[in-house]
Formats: sequence, C-alpha cells, structure tokens
Amino acid sequence: MKPPVKRKRTFQRRKVCVFCADSAMKIDYKDVKTLNHFVTERGKILPRRISGNCAKHQRDITRAIKKARNIALMAFSVVSS
Amino acid sequence: MRRYETIFIANPDLPEEEQNALQEKVRSLLASFNGEIVKMEDWGLKKLGYAIRKSSRGRYFLLDYLTESPALVRELERTLRLNDGVLKFITVKTSAQVTKDQIQALKAASQAEKTIRVEERPSAPEPTPVPVPPEVEKPEAGEEAK
Repeated sequence: MKPPVKRKRTFQRRKVCVFCADSAMKIDYKDVKTLNHFVTERGKILPRRISGNCAKHQRDITRAIKKARNIALMAFSVVSS
Repeated sequence: MRRYETIFIANPDLPEEEQNALQEKVRSLLASFNGEIVKMEDWGLKKLGYAIRKSSRGRYFLLDYLTESPALVRELERTLRLNDGVLKFITVKTSAQVTKDQIQALKAASQAEKTIRVEERPSAPEPTPVPVPPEVEKPEAGEEAK
C-alpha cells in the first residue's frame, strides 16, 4: 500500500470566522460597509471557503445581504464596463 | 409587544411638502393603532443599488416601532404600497417579545437622546472650528513661500 501523497494548497485560508472571533460585531442588513466585505466586486456573495465564516454566520451574512439587496442598499449585480 | 422596523424609500423628485406629508401620514397611522415609535430616522438622499422606477436615487426613512397588533404592519405596508411617492419598502421584525422593562429602557434611551440633541443644538451653529483652518493655512503658505 502506497501512502497517499497529497499536495497541500499553497495558500492558507483564514481559520477563524470574523464574527466568532469578535462578538462585538453584529450582522445587520443596514450595515452595508460590513456586508461589502463579503461580496465580490460584481456583487456576488463570497463563498465560505473564501470568507472563512462559520456556517452560522455565513447564513446570517447571506440573509443580511439579500435583505440589503431587496431595499436597494446593495446591488444585485454590478455591471462593469 | 413586538418590535418592527420599516425602511421606506421616498421618491426624491417629490416636493418637500409631500415628503413631510408622507411622514405625517405614517406617524398618524402608528398613533391610530397604538403603535409606539422608538425612532424615526431620515437617512437623506442615497444612491440606490439599482434603479427603481428609473430613479437611481432615493430618500431613505427608517421607522423603528413597537406594536401589539400585526394589523398595524399590514395597514402600514398597504398605505406604503398605495402611495406613488414610495419606491420601495421593507419591514423586519427585530424582536418578537419586548417586555415592559425593555420598553421603559427604550423610552429612557430615546428621551436621553432627545435631550442630548436639544442641548447640542445651540452649540452646533457656533462656528468655532471654522476660523482655525485659515490660521493654520497661513503659516504653511508662508513656509512654502520661503
């Protein structure tokens, strides 16, 4: 039996969820500044493997972004020329 | 008591009187349903994330209130929907149960805020920091000249 040789990815992802690390941070759909950290330039929601959020907070973030989009605080999609 | 917040976007092309009339309408509606306003904020003109009815800007209002009856929310949303000056609105329940103690704390907090605002008002128009910049600029300009 050959031991499986697995190449580790060169980059390390952030291990701790920002919201778990700092309990003072609250997720609010009105707080667009914070939410903007979790979307791409195009306005898409960043996946968990990139943002490093835990499942719970990722869910909260997603909901908050969707609410913010509904009331036009955030864009559904950013069209760049 | 439940706590809700409603954000509504008024059409910025609307004349000021109609904006005020809209606010008054909302306030009187809350009063008629025994709703208690925690705060009413005017965020002013903001750029929208996307165009709504061909308008790229909107005037945001945030209404934070307490009520016992869901009928109030229904009625409020109905009036907002029927009002042509309102581009869009959203209502979020922020708390399902607000106890009497919390209500009193909220009231105290909002009253404290009001008193602070009233106290700040006379001091605000005083243009104390305004004369400072020219004085600072002058020596700088002098140094540059040297």
